[in-house]
Amino acid sequence: MKRMVSAIVTLSFALAFLVLPAFAQETVKVGIILPVTGEKAKFGEIEKKSFEMALEEINAAGGINGKKLEFLLEDDTGRPDVARSAAEKLITKDKVVMLGGGYGSSETFAIAGVAQQSRIPFLVNTGSDDKITEKKWEYIFRLNPPVSEYPKGLESFLTEVVKPKTAVILYENTNFGSSGSKEFKATCERLGIKVLMMEGYEHGGVDFKPLLIKVKQANPDLVYMISYLMDASLLMRQSLELRVTPKLFVGGAAGFTLPEFQKNAGKASDMVYSATLWYQTLPYPGAKKYFDDFKKKFGVDTEYHGAEAYAAAFVIADALKRTKSMGPEDVRQALAATDMMTVFGPVKFIAYDTMTNQNKLPTYLVQWIDGKLELVWPKDVASKPYVYPIDWEKVWK
Amino acid sequence: MEVLIQTLVAGILMGGIYALVGLGMTLIMGVMKIVNLAHGQLMMIAMYITFVLFDHFHIDPYFSLLVSMPALFLLGAFIQKYLLNPLLKVDSILPENQVLMTVGIGMILTEIVRFIFQSDYKSVKTSYSFSTMYLGTISFNTSMVVAFCIAVLLTGGLFFFLAKTDVGKSVRATAQNKDAALLMGVNAEWITILTYGLGAALVAAAGTLLLPIYYLFPDVGGRFTLKAFVITILGGMGSTVGAIVGGVFLGIAESLGATYISMALSDAVGLVIFLLVLIFLPGGLKKLTKI
Repeated sequence: MKRMVSAIVTLSFALAFLVLPAFAQETVKVGIILPVTGEKAKFGEIEKKSFEMALEEINAAGGINGKKLEFLLEDDTGRPDVARSAAEKLITKDKVVMLGGGYGSSETFAIAGVAQQSRIPFLVNTGSDDKITEKKWEYIFRLNPPVSEYPKGLESFLTEVVKPKTAVILYENTNFGSSGSKEFKATCERLGIKVLMMEGYEHGGVDFKPLLIKVKQANPDLVYMISYLMDASLLMRQSLELRVTPKLFVGGAAGFTLPEFQKNAGKASDMVYSATLWYQTLPYPGAKKYFDDFKKKFGVDTEYHGAEAYAAAFVIADALKRTKSMGPEDVRQALAATDMMTVFGPVKFIAYDTMTNQNKLPTYLVQWIDGKLELVWPKDVASKPYVYPIDWEKVWK
Repeated sequence: MEVLIQTLVAGILMGGIYALVGLGMTLIMGVMKIVNLAHGQLMMIAMYITFVLFDHFHIDPYFSLLVSMPALFLLGAFIQKYLLNPLLKVDSILPENQVLMTVGIGMILTEIVRFIFQSDYKSVKTSYSFSTMYLGTISFNTSMVVAFCIAVLLTGGLFFFLAKTDVGKSVRATAQNKDAALLMGVNAEWITILTYGLGAALVAAAGTLLLPIYYLFPDVGGRFTLKAFVITILGGMGSTVGAIVGGVFLGIAESLGATYISMALSDAVGLVIFLLVLIFLPGGLKKLTKI
C-alpha cells in the first residue's frame, strides 16, 4: 500500500512537471533582492509589497509588450554575503535579464559587484552609500539620491531658519551611517557649523545613555542622527529621559520617517525633523494614489522606501519595453536611455560630480507634528508649516 | 564626575538583566554540559508572550511574569524531554549534536514567530515607559530600576532553591558528577528536564523585564544568545555566582567602554573581555569565587 501511494505521488509530480511548461506563458524574469527576513525585514516587506503592487498593475496593463513580467524575489537577510550568493543564483541559475532591489548599502554594494562582473544590469532603488555609483560601473544604475545628498533639503532650512552654531553627529557604524556622517560633517564645515562630536554606535544597542550623556555635556544646537528604526526610537526615548535639549533633532531619513518610529517612540518622536526623499503630497503624478492604494491594500502606511520600490518596478518595465532584445547589453542601453516620470519623481540616469548612472532628485525635510509626519520644507511644497523654535519641556511633558 | 556616575548607574542596571540572561544559560551548561544556543530565542518567545498579553489583554508586563515564566518553563521542559534527551541515546559522529540541535530549535522558534507576527518591530507602551526618577542630576529609568530589583529577587530565589531544597541539591549534585548522582538515586533525566525548564524560565523573566525598555522583533534573540555566552564563560561554566558577577561586570564594562572609548565598540569590549578571560582565566570567575 505504502509503495503504491509513493508511486502515485511520484508519478503525479512527474506529470505536473511535464505539463506545467506547456501552460506557462512566455515571461520576462527580473531578479529582486531585498531583506525579507532578518533585522531589516520591516523595510524589505514595505518594498516587497510595493514591487508586487506595481507588478500587478504592469501585467494588468499588458506586461512587457504582451509578455508577462515576473519578479523573482530573493532574500538577502540583511547580510552582504547572502546578498552576493542571491545575486549569483539569480544570474546563473534563473537567467534573469536584470536585477532590482538592494536595500542595505553593504548588501547593495555586494550585489553591484556581482552584477558588474557578470555584466547584468542592476537598478538600485534604496542602497545609498555614495560609492555604489562612484565606481564607474556601467551596469549599475541608481534611482534614489546617494546618502550624501539626503541633507540637501535640510541645508537650506538650516541656513535660512535655524542658523545653528554647533552640531553633534551620531550614526550607526555601517556603510550607510559612516558615509552619511562624513558627508554631513563636510556640510557643517561648509556652513560654518562647528561639529563638537561625531560618534558611531553599534546597531541594536539597548542603552544609548552613555552616548547621550556626552551629547548633553556638549550641549549642541543641532543633533543629527543617522539611524535605523529602533535605534532611532530608543535614541529619542532616552534623550527625553536624560533631557537632552538641543534646538532641534534631525534624523537622516532611514528610520525616522517610518510610521513605526512614531509608534515606538511615542511622545519622544514629536517635533523631530528628518530628511526624506519623498512625501505623498509631492506634486508627482500618482504619488498620492500610490499612497492611498497601498493603505487600502495592506492596511498600513507606506513611506519613501515603498515609493522607491514602486517607482523602480515601473522603470524596469519601461526599460524592458524599449529594449531591442533581452540581452544584457541591450537592456543596459535601454536603462541608460530612461527618461520618465514616476511617483518618486523624474528618472534620468546621468553622470555628475563623481557619480555615473545616477538619478538626480531633490530631497526634503519632514517633521513629526502631533503624531503625524508632515512635509515642512521647502516651503512651496509643505503640507504644514514647520514648528520652530521648539519648547522641549512642553513637548515632553 | 556626573558622567562617570551616570555611566556606572546605566551599566549596573543593565548588568542586572544580563545576569538573569546568563544565569539560565550557566545552569543548563552546568548540568547538561552543553551550550544552549537557543537561549536568546527562548527569551524572544517570552517577550512575545508578554507583548500579546499587553496588547490584547492589557496586562502589565510585570504581572505577565507570572505567565511568561511558567509558559517558558513548560516549553523548556518539553524541548529537553522530547528533543534533547533522545539525542543522548543516539550514536553520532559529533558529540555536540545536542548543541547543533539547540541551534536548529532557535531557528525554528524565530521563523515560527516571524510567520505569526511578521517582522514588524513591536514595543510595549506602558504608563511608566517614559517615567524617570532623578537623584540630583542622575537619571534612573523607572522600568530599569524595577527590572533590576525583580532580577535581584529572582536570583535570590534561585539561590535559596539550589542551596536549601532537596531538588536544588540534586541539581547541584548532577552538575558536579552525574554518575555519582545516579548512584545516589537522583533521577538524572528528570533533573535535566527541570534544569532546562528553569533556565528557560529565568531567561523568560529577563525578556519580560527588558520589553518595556527595549523593543521586539523575531530576530531579537541572537544578540542575547551571544551575550549569555560571554557571561557564562566570564563567570565560569555552571557557576551561578559567576554568572551574576559576570553579568554586572559586562554591563559596567560595556557602558564604560561606550562612554570613554566609543559606543561603536561597546560590543567589541564584551568580546575582548571574553578573549582575555579565555586566555588568562580559563575557568572564569569561578576560579576566584569557588562557587
